[in-house]
Amino acid sequence: MIKVDRVYKRYKENQYALSDCSLEIDRGEFVFVVGASGSGKSTLLRLLLREERPDSGEVWVAGKELSAMPGWKVPFFRRNIGSIFQDFRLLPNKTVFDNVGFALEVIGKSKRHITTQVPQMLELVGLHDKQERFPDELSGGEQQRVAIARAFINKPLILLADEPTGNLDPENSWSVMGLLERINRTGTTVLMATHDVGIVDSMRRRVIELENGQIKRDQTRGVYGLGQTST
Amino acid sequence: MAISLEYVVKETSGNLWRNRLMSLAAVLTISVSLALAGASLLLKQGVSTATSQWKGGVQLLIFMQPTATNAQTSTVERQLKSLPEIKSYYYMDQAKSYQEFKQLMANSPDLLQSVTESQIPPSFRVVLKNPSAAPSVGSLFQQQAGVKDVNFNRGAINTMLHVTSIAQFVIVGLAAILLISASVLILNVIRVAIFSRRREVAVMKLVGATNWFIRVPFMLEGMVQGLVGSIVAAGAVVGIQALFQYVIQHFNVTILSNFLVSSHDVLMTELFVVAMGIIVGTAGSAFAVRRYLEV
Repeated sequence: MIKVDRVYKRYKENQYALSDCSLEIDRGEFVFVVGASGSGKSTLLRLLLREERPDSGEVWVAGKELSAMPGWKVPFFRRNIGSIFQDFRLLPNKTVFDNVGFALEVIGKSKRHITTQVPQMLELVGLHDKQERFPDELSGGEQQRVAIARAFINKPLILLADEPTGNLDPENSWSVMGLLERINRTGTTVLMATHDVGIVDSMRRRVIELENGQIKRDQTRGVYGLGQTST
Repeated sequence: MAISLEYVVKETSGNLWRNRLMSLAAVLTISVSLALAGASLLLKQGVSTATSQWKGGVQLLIFMQPTATNAQTSTVERQLKSLPEIKSYYYMDQAKSYQEFKQLMANSPDLLQSVTESQIPPSFRVVLKNPSAAPSVGSLFQQQAGVKDVNFNRGAINTMLHVTSIAQFVIVGLAAILLISASVLILNVIRVAIFSRRREVAVMKLVGATNWFIRVPFMLEGMVQGLVGSIVAAGAVVGIQALFQYVIQHFNVTILSNFLVSSHDVLMTELFVVAMGIIVGTAGSAFAVRRYLEV
């Protein structure tokens, strides 16, 4: 589903965000990417979303090689990828319903499709009673659940999560993780960059640790730090 | 990919309303610049109809009597050929002269109806080697049999041509500057609109909106501004034309009546004005939105 092959990426001269980075993730896997700030986690996710291109090496996502993909194909590629972020990235002047429906509207789905799909999706994330609220009337956890609803409404093959619990208290973090786990059980590959030791340690999923742009560790049922926590 | 009409209309009207003051500024700049451009075009048309007789450096007009015989005409022609002061000449027969007359008097249908082709004097159009010789050469033909009138009133026309060409140049230049500033203003309006919505644009890109999907509402916004501005400008051009016509008719300024342009010319000018408005508005927005769409 995801294959990164000997990828190099640098933003400044002699300062690699990723260097000789190779990894492979199968369909339906749930993978944590851990590592200190600046270790290359965000760069990896940006490469997978094709927000950046590698300087060298190949990035394969959902059967497509991204570094050679022409710009006009990128929007169509992204429809197969759901993404959520630490800062939720909701539109403040749209209601919960419209925020989720926006993902469908943008790819040209009919109004009828939207009015049937969005409530189902909001039901799934437990926010069906808050459809007409605006994002700033919701708690952080609720906002992230709206973002998840938006990311998952197109039934993407892959869900990329960039520190989705970074702004949340433990209780909300767990409800978000519960949702991601349910999404993963539908067959969606989930890749989550995180700093949250508790979550990684207790979920016992595959862990990929990055350090200075290189893969330091790749464990099938790993924990956050193998006893020694990274800086 | 289908872009729903409802979505585009909703987005466009929302944008226009949110930035209404800037939109108004863009619309006004477009209308002022296009009104000037249109008016200068009309002036250009007017000058070219008013001076069509004098085209090609003609400095001397010898009008024959409509009833002049062929012999009389060829006598004049032979004399023209033999005179060393004359550089070139050509003959306008009655049919051609009538065509010209119709063009000149397009705005006076009454006059047109009362004059038939047989009443129109044919004429020789003469170019001299030295323009100052016009009076002396002209006087040679004044008393000739079959000659109705000799016209070498070149000085006044020269001045008029000179003044109008400068005026035209200034107006066209002004209109061009204003058009450019209108484009820049539209560019800025759209840029502000996009900047205030860059989060939204980022989210759109994240969920897989194509660039056209993002671009179309903005382009339509520019097009509406251009269209409204140009319609105002077109109205102003019609107004200027009507005022001109009114002044001529009301105060009987016959010298200016030659400058009147046909309604066909006015219509073409209006179409040009509206087309320019639409192009400037749409292209301006397309350009402004471009840099925000890079992946």
